[in-house]
Amino acid sequence: MTALARLKNWDYLLTVATVALLGSLGVQSFLGTAYVWWATYSVPGFQAIGYRDFIWWMNAIAAPQVVALVVLMGLCVPKRLLDRGTLIAVSAVMLVAGLAAWVATGSLATGLAVYLALAGLIQAAVVAITVAGARGPSYLTEGRLVKIGSGLLHLGFIAFAFVVVALQRSTFMLPAFWAATALTLVGTLLTFYASRFAWRGRVRVPIDRGLAEE
Amino acid sequence: MNPAAIQADLAQLVETLSAVGTPLQALLPLLAAVLVALAVVPAWRGWLGTAVSASAALLVVGQLVLIWFHWRLYEIAVVVSPETGGVVGRIAIPLWVESVKLYVWALLLAVMAVLIRRHRQELLPGVAILLAALMAAAALWNEPFTEPLPIFFGQYLGYLSAMASGDPGVMFGAYQGMESARQFYYNTIYMWVHPPALFFSYAAFAISFVATIEMIRARHSAFETTAYRWARLGYLPLTAGMLLGFPWAIIAWPGESWWWSAKVNMSIMMWLAYTALLHARLYLRRPSMWRWVAGISVAAFVVLLLTYFSTYFVPGAHTV
Repeated sequence: MTALARLKNWDYLLTVATVALLGSLGVQSFLGTAYVWWATYSVPGFQAIGYRDFIWWMNAIAAPQVVALVVLMGLCVPKRLLDRGTLIAVSAVMLVAGLAAWVATGSLATGLAVYLALAGLIQAAVVAITVAGARGPSYLTEGRLVKIGSGLLHLGFIAFAFVVVALQRSTFMLPAFWAATALTLVGTLLTFYASRFAWRGRVRVPIDRGLAEE
Repeated sequence: MNPAAIQADLAQLVETLSAVGTPLQALLPLLAAVLVALAVVPAWRGWLGTAVSASAALLVVGQLVLIWFHWRLYEIAVVVSPETGGVVGRIAIPLWVESVKLYVWALLLAVMAVLIRRHRQELLPGVAILLAALMAAAALWNEPFTEPLPIFFGQYLGYLSAMASGDPGVMFGAYQGMESARQFYYNTIYMWVHPPALFFSYAAFAISFVATIEMIRARHSAFETTAYRWARLGYLPLTAGMLLGFPWAIIAWPGESWWWSAKVNMSIMMWLAYTALLHARLYLRRPSMWRWVAGISVAAFVVLLLTYFSTYFVPGAHTV
């Protein structure tokens, strides 16, 4: 297997894992909603008493999945810069830093915040390098504007996750939220519509793709 | 403040809306039936584009009437403090709440249906059936012209009665509820951005869904591209709308576990489904991957429908 094929396979595995986790959280959301619907009409006093337990259970079930998603995002972010060996080492360091912060403070939110902050720094570096046009970051997408868009929107999601985890009660919540929103939306716009922003004839982003032959 | 005068003005306004809107409301299900007939019978499809344009025109006319109604409501419906007797503010009711939600969704889908260029002939029957369902439901279930804004009127008329009662305790309680609804619901900037962004995305996803069904039927990659284009058009306002719901929820529902409420729950699920779709699509060239992409796309639209209807059936922060 060539290095490029290995990289693509690694990308594919990360994407499958991301989709699986998104699907799993989606199934939990659906089952949770169905349960509330059923319980409201079937369990006496559910809204007054049982709803608190429901929230506790939903949080408890979602927490490991959200942590896994954050870890996966941490793995996805530096993959654009680093080979797989270094990537795993860097991810392990990030994970250890997050765990250490969790143990030291006794707060899972602090551990996640440290992890997200590190992921955000790496992603910011990826975006800066991509904007500078240096060789190095590897993307599935083609075209520099698309790559910048992809980098920005992932940075936006990391920033938004950081706001949710660490800044909900902070005075910086709103400015940080707007920054995350701007990054996400500008990134999404560039990712989807880069060809419209590019100078005609200079940058071509392939859109049409044929379905796989069976 | 003269509660009796305001009540009389409101009654007059609702009567005028009903008089103007009843013919429009009656035409909507009729036109919906015509759309279904033209979409189902191949020999009549030549008229489908015209019927879709006529539907869009009718919905636009109705929307203009509703804009006028909401503007008059803004002029009439004031909130007065029982302490000072001064007007605290007016209530700006958005055009996408309660009885006008399905209507605005139908309107956006109709406008998009008129604008479809790529694969217009193939997509129009499916889009017309969805549009017909929305128009019929908007007219027969929501009744935007004859039964407008029942929750708002229930609360506001209750507030007017309380203000007329002269009992300070009753007046202050009703004022707090009304002013809270004005500040954190009707008049907040989030209410004017979050729902329309989501309805725009719902309309775009509806067309993406029809293109996906065409892809499954015809097994042609061109339909997948069309489905993707409409999905990405919907994904941007969906993401923006959902993000904008976050600070609003923190401000409006402090201390509440709103993130597991039915609508939020389902909305997150819908966003996850469309995110999964756009991720899966990156590997479209892999063998059989198009089946997964098609499956996720169909599932995502089913989740969209469940998300919308969950507000009517499942109790929670968004329940109407």
